[in-house]
Amino acid sequence: MIIAERKPLPELIEMLAGVERLLILGCRGCVAVCSAGGDKEVSVLATALRLGRKLAGGTIEIDEDTYVRQCDPEYLEPLKTKGKDYDAVLSIACGVGVNFIADCCPGVRVMPGLNTTFYGANLGSGEWAEKCAGCGACVLHLTGGLCPVARCAKSLSNGPCGGSVGGRCEIDPDVACVWHQIHDKLRELKQAERLGEIMPIRDWRPAGHGGPRRRIKEDLRP
Amino acid sequence: MSTDGAKIVGFCCHYTARVSEDALRLAGVLPAGVRFEHVPCTGRVEVPAFLAAFEQGADAVFVVGCEEGSCHNLSGSQRASKRVGQAKAILKELNVGLERIEMFFVTRGETEPVVAAAREMSERVGRLGQLYGEQAKVVEVEEAQ
Repeated sequence: MIIAERKPLPELIEMLAGVERLLILGCRGCVAVCSAGGDKEVSVLATALRLGRKLAGGTIEIDEDTYVRQCDPEYLEPLKTKGKDYDAVLSIACGVGVNFIADCCPGVRVMPGLNTTFYGANLGSGEWAEKCAGCGACVLHLTGGLCPVARCAKSLSNGPCGGSVGGRCEIDPDVACVWHQIHDKLRELKQAERLGEIMPIRDWRPAGHGGPRRRIKEDLRP
Repeated sequence: MSTDGAKIVGFCCHYTARVSEDALRLAGVLPAGVRFEHVPCTGRVEVPAFLAAFEQGADAVFVVGCEEGSCHNLSGSQRASKRVGQAKAILKELNVGLERIEMFFVTRGETEPVVAAAREMSERVGRLGQLYGEQAKVVEVEEAQ
């Protein structure tokens, strides 16, 4: 899922300077699951911002709402009119939601309440880790299912580098060297011979270096 | 600094604070400005309730829950304690002194620890000043630094 975290309150308070009527808009997709932008987080952020404004000697009128998703146009329909009733809409969806509101809702001033960080898995209660970089050219069949693009600090295709020590990455001893893990995993799967294959130089265009990406599935188009 | 006019909100569950606020006030044991919010279990109180109390003018907020292992709902007071921690993190971001909110674990059914918690918070407000007072703001910004 997409992982995100709330922006620091001082940054949000500064961003919202001059805003007197605000809608905080949550999303029940990924950001609700990672406890950054669901109903509960909308409520906490609204009270925190009201308190912050009052402490600064002002007031702010804040309404709260949460949509099923902010990345599908049908769910944004009500916002096209409702959004204009506010000085700003603070979206606490991922950046996709913020962009899509800006695209779909003319005249609505949308702002980001979260920093969208990565595609990750839930390691345990309250802990997520990056597992995929959305690079558009998956090689997980060659690496025992472990991603060298997302989980290697250098995104090496043929690792490990000289900085791997005892299975740990040189950037931080708390970070596992994924190429060490790939070696272990392929040995466990009795596919160690794969390590002798050299991966060709990666084409980064599908990773977004060729401009914004788009997918078209013809059979679903109207 | 005086606590006159201080507003202190205490969230108490049925099991830790059976004696009514009025009875305690009549007995003269409750500091001025303290108001109890009775809830079935402190684990039911969410972070926005704590922040809203401050927004509505409270100078301090406290939660009185059952001691570990004695909560009627098993882990309600532990949940409340975590949420007080979350509220403290938000108050820190807003440069509000963390001493303005506290969790107290008390023996079930005894009144004295509840009164002691209220007095402790009253003493803190006396030291920190009113939340929306100019003097308090200076002190708390310094604390946050």
